Amino acid sequence: MLLLDYQNALIQSLLTERFSGATPVSIDQVVSDFDGVTFHLSTPESKSKILISINVKCFKELVQYGAQDVLEREYGPYIVNPEPGYDFSVQVDLDNLPAEQEARDDLVMKLALLKRNAMAAPFERAFDEFTKLAEEASQYTSESAPQGLQEGGQVMAIHYREEEAIYIKANSDRVTVIFSTVFREETDRIFGKVFLQEFVDARRRVLTLQNAPQVLFRSDPPLELQGVPGLTKAGEGAMSYVTFVLFPRHLTPQRRYESISHIQTFRDYFHYHIKASKAYIHTRMRKRTADFLQVLNRARPENEDRERKTASGRTFRVQA
Amino acid sequence: MSQLDNFRTINIDRLDPESSANFPMETLLPATLPPPETSSDAANVATQVRQLLRGGDPEGALRQVLDTAPLAGDARAKEVHLATVIEVLQGIRQGEMTRVLEGVCAGDGGSERADCLMKYLYKGMSAPAPGSGTQSPRSMSVSPQNTGGFSQIQGRNLGEGGGGQQMSVVLSWHEKLVEVAGTGSIVRVMTDRRTV
Amino acid sequence: MSQSLRPYLQCVRSSLTAALAISNFASQTSERHNVPEVEAASSPELILNPLHISRNENEKVLIEPSVNSVRISISIKQADEIEQILVHKFDRFLTQRAESFFILRRKPVKGYDISFLITNTHTEMLLKHKLVDFVIQFMEDVDKEVSELKLFLNARARFVAESFLTPFD
Repeated sequence: MLLLDYQNALIQSLLTERFSGATPVSIDQVVSDFDGVTFHLSTPESKSKILISINVKCFKELVQYGAQDVLEREYGPYIVNPEPGYDFSVQVDLDNLPAEQEARDDLVMKLALLKRNAMAAPFERAFDEFTKLAEEASQYTSESAPQGLQEGGQVMAIHYREEEAIYIKANSDRVTVIFSTVFREETDRIFGKVFLQEFVDARRRVLTLQNAPQVLFRSDPPLELQGVPGLTKAGEGAMSYVTFVLFPRHLTPQRRYESISHIQTFRDYFHYHIKASKAYIHTRMRKRTADFLQVLNRARPENEDRERKTASGRTFRVQA
Repeated sequence: MSQLDNFRTINIDRLDPESSANFPMETLLPATLPPPETSSDAANVATQVRQLLRGGDPEGALRQVLDTAPLAGDARAKEVHLATVIEVLQGIRQGEMTRVLEGVCAGDGGSERADCLMKYLYKGMSAPAPGSGTQSPRSMSVSPQNTGGFSQIQGRNLGEGGGGQQMSVVLSWHEKLVEVAGTGSIVRVMTDRRTV
Repeated sequence: MSQSLRPYLQCVRSSLTAALAISNFASQTSERHNVPEVEAASSPELILNPLHISRNENEKVLIEPSVNSVRISISIKQADEIEQILVHKFDRFLTQRAESFFILRRKPVKGYDISFLITNTHTEMLLKHKLVDFVIQFMEDVDKEVSELKLFLNARARFVAESFLTPFD
């Protein structure tokens, strides 16, 4: 598994099973996802009505950026009042499912993508803003454009983890997505640096990646974030800012769904691979250490288990 | 008063004349030590040796420099002399090493010269190479590094650290000298209190 | 093997062979004690001249002989942050197993990455030339392993980065 899936695999498999026509059973399950997101799947009223609730740390911010609209668009008829303790709930009735298998699978997928869709709102807004700005900008030459246009839209901050955030900003020719990420440990920091350097270099090095988004990274807040409150000061060393510059070709209506899904997984993908590399390196070192021990034990002289005999030919055993 | 506050950190063995920590090291030195030398003496030797070396007599130069080792000299004299020895060693070509060594270690006082050379080889490796004292501080911040192109992958064994050149000369001399003089020579370096 | 690595290891080998001539020696200061004199340093008489062997300023070996024990400290090359972290991790792996690595010193001597302490009991119990072989092989393998791990890390990072960016295309 190299790339992470966009949907939640547990929800997907659970619902697929339920939707397959098996006898309804009662469910009460809490499902965790990345970034501290939790889901609650339950059947509070009857076994055939599954309630799916999601809790996102930054839901308030997401609502500000239009999450409610996006979710209503996606889950319109299924939405119910949010379960206490959760931010958003949908309910599906097993007796009232679409008839065709394909439509059912689509519904399962849509529900498994609940987190993705909740997080997608600011991205969608930024992409829309970009389209608007691009249209406006096309009426001016670069010199005559009014000041506000050049500066682009507002920076949208999503504090989706305890100390980490995503910042999104639309301009007339690009959308900038900035991830702030924390390295808890010295090792992670250095591994992270190696990985990030490869992200930066990949575009230059590989011909087929010429059209990929530009990636930049630095340890102090980039210029785009000037004046944004709550930024960690540079110099503490643990913070890194990773900037993705999405170009118009990534923002076209045909590509945008995929682009949003994919960029959301960056942070988890990145940290997942750092951890995986560490695990591999540990395994190798463990093995190598065992090898060293073997070499050292070769220094022990061979134990002579030869039977010893007295002069008269009788054997004896040394008492331990 | 502060002296008294720290009384627990005082090494009382040092204050006891009977303690083994105060073993009189000078009793371990042989009586036949050459007279003390100063750095100016060592510098005079260096000039003579350089002349021999320039005159195309590397064997004579090495012999001379080893015979005049300032075993009883002060630290400065020893330093100057070490530089001379290293200079001689670097001045002898790889191909000539074995021939020169066999010449120097043969004859009257040959094994003393071999031991003396062995001392200098270890001393040469312990001293930081000239001009390599300042190590670049390791950067602690995550910032883009100039990768000079497209790759941050580089072989570890290509870039030699500072002083690698001098060390490799000393190391190959060491190898040759062990062949000629044997392991015993190394033992004598460890046990001989007459340091160079 | 790199050009200057062989004489370096050869030098360590012959020096170690010479230094491991140690014998039992009871403490002079306290009765019925027997301690490694190189650690106790109870008398300057019992400690011999230390030997330095270096290939360059980053790769060094320090051999501290004494009458009944030898301390060997190795400094492993660390060219950049990645190697530093890898060497550090390796050291920890080893020192945490010091109990089974009986000759390993739990804490390296200052300025070095890893130290071994070989006492007369070790040389009596074990084959001396095999002990020397171990130290030499250790030095070779650590270097090799660190290089390989570093290449692996870079290769993985490259592959991961390219895989992530490809779907955007």
